[in-house]
Amino acid sequence: MGKLLEVKDLKVQFRTREGAIHAVDGISFELEEGEALGIVGESGSGKSVTSLSILRLLPMPPAEIVDGSITFADQELLELSESEMRKIRGHEIAMIFQDPMTSLNPVLTVERQIIEPIQLHLGLNRSEAHARARALLEAVGIPDPERRLRSYPHQFSGGMRQRVMIAIAIAANPKLLIADEPTTALDVTVQAQILELINRLRRDLGTSVILITHDLGVVAGMTDRINVMYAGKIAETANTDELFANPRHPYTLGLLSAVPRLDEEAGGDLNTIPGSPPDQLHPIEGCPFQPRCPFVLPKCKDYPPALRVGPNHIAYCWVDVTDPAEQERAIARGFIPLREIGGLRQGSPASTGTGSPSNG
Amino acid sequence: MATIQSNQAPTAGALELTPELARKRRSQGRIILDRFLRNRVAVGGLVVLLLMVLAAIFAPFISHYDPDQYNIALQTAPPSAAHILGNDDLGRDELTRLLYGARTSLTIGITSMLVMVAIGVLVGAVAGFYGGWIDNLLMRITDGFLAVPFLIWLFTVAGIFSNGSVKDIVIIIAVFSWPITARIVRGEFLGLKEREFLLAARTLGASDARLMFWHILPNAIGPITVVATLGVGQNIIAESILSFFGFGLQKPTSSWGTMLNDSQAYITSAPILVWAPGIAILITVLCFNLIGDGMRDALDPYMTER
Amino acid sequence: MISPEVHAATTATDELLRLDNLVMHFPITQGILVQRQIGAVKAVDGVSLTVKRGATLGLVGESGSGKSTIGRCIVRLYKPTSGHIFFEQNDLAEAEGGDLRNLRRRVQMIFQDPYASLNPRFAVGSLIAEPMKIHKMGSSKEIRDRTEQLLEIVGLNRRFVDRYPHEFSGGQRQRIAVARAIAINPEFIIADEPVSALDVSIRAQILNLMDRLQQQFGLTYLFISHDLSVVRHVADRIAVMYLGKIMEVADGEEIYTNPLHPYAAALLSAVPIPNPRIEKQRKRIILKGDLPSPVNIPSGCRFHTRCPIAQEICRQVEPPLEDKTGSGHLAACHFSDRVGSLAAGGSVEGMGTL
Repeated sequence: MGKLLEVKDLKVQFRTREGAIHAVDGISFELEEGEALGIVGESGSGKSVTSLSILRLLPMPPAEIVDGSITFADQELLELSESEMRKIRGHEIAMIFQDPMTSLNPVLTVERQIIEPIQLHLGLNRSEAHARARALLEAVGIPDPERRLRSYPHQFSGGMRQRVMIAIAIAANPKLLIADEPTTALDVTVQAQILELINRLRRDLGTSVILITHDLGVVAGMTDRINVMYAGKIAETANTDELFANPRHPYTLGLLSAVPRLDEEAGGDLNTIPGSPPDQLHPIEGCPFQPRCPFVLPKCKDYPPALRVGPNHIAYCWVDVTDPAEQERAIARGFIPLREIGGLRQGSPASTGTGSPSNG
Repeated sequence: MATIQSNQAPTAGALELTPELARKRRSQGRIILDRFLRNRVAVGGLVVLLLMVLAAIFAPFISHYDPDQYNIALQTAPPSAAHILGNDDLGRDELTRLLYGARTSLTIGITSMLVMVAIGVLVGAVAGFYGGWIDNLLMRITDGFLAVPFLIWLFTVAGIFSNGSVKDIVIIIAVFSWPITARIVRGEFLGLKEREFLLAARTLGASDARLMFWHILPNAIGPITVVATLGVGQNIIAESILSFFGFGLQKPTSSWGTMLNDSQAYITSAPILVWAPGIAILITVLCFNLIGDGMRDALDPYMTER
Repeated sequence: MISPEVHAATTATDELLRLDNLVMHFPITQGILVQRQIGAVKAVDGVSLTVKRGATLGLVGESGSGKSTIGRCIVRLYKPTSGHIFFEQNDLAEAEGGDLRNLRRRVQMIFQDPYASLNPRFAVGSLIAEPMKIHKMGSSKEIRDRTEQLLEIVGLNRRFVDRYPHEFSGGQRQRIAVARAIAINPEFIIADEPVSALDVSIRAQILNLMDRLQQQFGLTYLFISHDLSVVRHVADRIAVMYLGKIMEVADGEEIYTNPLHPYAAALLSAVPIPNPRIEKQRKRIILKGDLPSPVNIPSGCRFHTRCPIAQEICRQVEPPLEDKTGSGHLAACHFSDRVGSLAAGGSVEGMGTL
């Protein structure tokens, strides 16, 4: 399986009256064919901007891709013209968004919206396209597809609309599907259905998926690998199992222990990550997590190098969070260590890593 | 839940100022003012308007002539060194009349605007806030007013009831211009009353009056200000039209409108008598419009700012 | 969650709030001059609940369940269609005028959206002081002092008193909302999705704050949320709602380890858990179909159209909400005994039927 997508040193800024907002501050990652990558982060992390940059959907003033390269199937996307990009959008790379109500055109029938990418990219005639549209609605689990093709978005429930969005997205057989918070606006039972659908389609069609979310539970079940983003940078990247078993970046630790979990009995405090999300208008020197980090050291003023924890596992941190001495220091600062959950405990070596910072 | 560990200041982070808070803060008013000041066209309009207002106030210092001083010898005399804008049909100095006329026109414009806004806000607020039959009733009344064109109302009512005083004209103009204000205010209130901060205030026990005028109204100031500034311009024109057709101010009160009326016959022989008040009205209304637009732009993004 | 001390101090009959068959129907009308009612949105369709003093009741449901509507009925943002809301001996549903005002001093609310629940035109100090001004709780100086004190209690700097909401982050705004809610010393606070609009790393701050305040001031909470993980963490007793009615109520861990209603079981199976091993092997209970419209509630058990174990009787007879275990675990289902085996696959430590 070759590399489908390669992002190198991507930097995206937004020019505002008060200065430049460093939305994405130098990130690099890869995606193989058929792989599912999760990008986890909160507001200001840059996760959505990253995905919009891949498709070049950002409005170019005020946004500006200041540096970096995005290679998709051996093509440099940042060098393509707008009309060449249009051939890729919806065809090679497709995207589904958070709010299906505003992402679907309310005055067009569902059929028209599904057929659009089909006709644009696959060159099928009217009846062939119609047949494919019906098949797509069936594939995404919408009952009575023939009638539903003639309906309008407002006649569907939220979950159904998201299914329609997914149908439109996979209509032209994309190699890569980017899902930006696809279930955040949905009820939890509907969310389960949609995630199940995305998984099934991924298996059946072999599509690669980038799943962007703030919900750690969602990425746990849907992805092979995860990038944790903070303040426009990647804080940690690892295979999914490894990340949950052996988190090494203080932010990841903080997230995992700050989230109330369904499989955990009540009692015990939630770890808080004190402070507020970062101000990307005035990024600080060195590691952006310093003001909120219980493990912080003076040398964090220099941006930490990649700490190679394992084969696919990198954390950008000076500190070895599994070191009991460091943990004690952090606990004194108010940090509450990860609880033991379902047999997974912080620091259990699911990989054999050197555990010491290296340069590279 | 166990009690919080003692060595954890539970809210340590929150006590710190976020970077945004630590920076120099501007008050609300300051933010709006800054935005307005950045709009050069609007500021230009404001400056010109202020100059006009000052000219109107300090008229006696700018021109030593008496605006009502006849001088038959100088009837419709063209501009000269002694009379920069010439003389009108009764030989009075045109510039002086322009300056004193400004007082009348501006007074009428602003006063009628204030009355219009007061009535419009009251009606619109009550209609928008309470909805139901109150809204229905008030809006049907408003529709009744709006069904007849503005000027026709003005002419008819002025013709029948007015005795040409400033007070009468102000009242008549205000009475027929509040309906549009009311509609706009009602629209704002309809939208704002469902906002969460309003629900929060209700939960706290705030009375209806407090909800309407303390909570909602400040948030509706934007469109109201725009309507008000545009309204001054509109009302000055209304008075001018009324006076131009003879339904407005009666002698001896004079305004730019009456000046237009007086100078009709001389449109070819002494055109400056028409141009002077005409351009004065034009510039004044333009200034108000520019200021109104500027206010809307300055207030609007702020109001939607989270 | 109640601390053991508070728990010991309260008696079993120390109810602070009791809902008695609360109904809230929003009429749908038609007509130009005269409005005729042609139907109703049955947002809350007969709910009975009690909340003990000092405890936290978690009210859980998805959209259309009616949970937020209940909260709003209790603070009288809506006047209930019928039923009672007993706050100690007073009926909030019927109170008017001065009585309502007095009751409002004792029951307050925290809203979901910290960006929308603070009036952007006023300084933060003014917003927090408002309830005190409305209820005339002291001189200007006293109010001002208490305002600054409240800011500190919720973990904000006193100096913020003159700042405006837009200068604060979401988490900080929610703290301001909390300060406002406790300003006049209420006994009962309804928290309507208080952390749902906040970043994940901030939620814990607010939840910890609310817990601390509960201990410090002896508050009683009604915690409304769609997030089962959060509710498990904060609530002593949990009620699950569907389409305007309560489906199941139980103490503490009961619902999570032993759900007795298929909807509760389905909800639990749908919640993602941050544990890849568990997630990848879970068998979820997938509900058929869509949520019915609250204008057209299904006959019999309102859940039967989507229920994986529905039988003929479910279509015809609405099951009453009754105690199935004799120890306060209520469920509205004809086949509670079958719910245990409903969920297949992957039992999870700490959760019975996942």
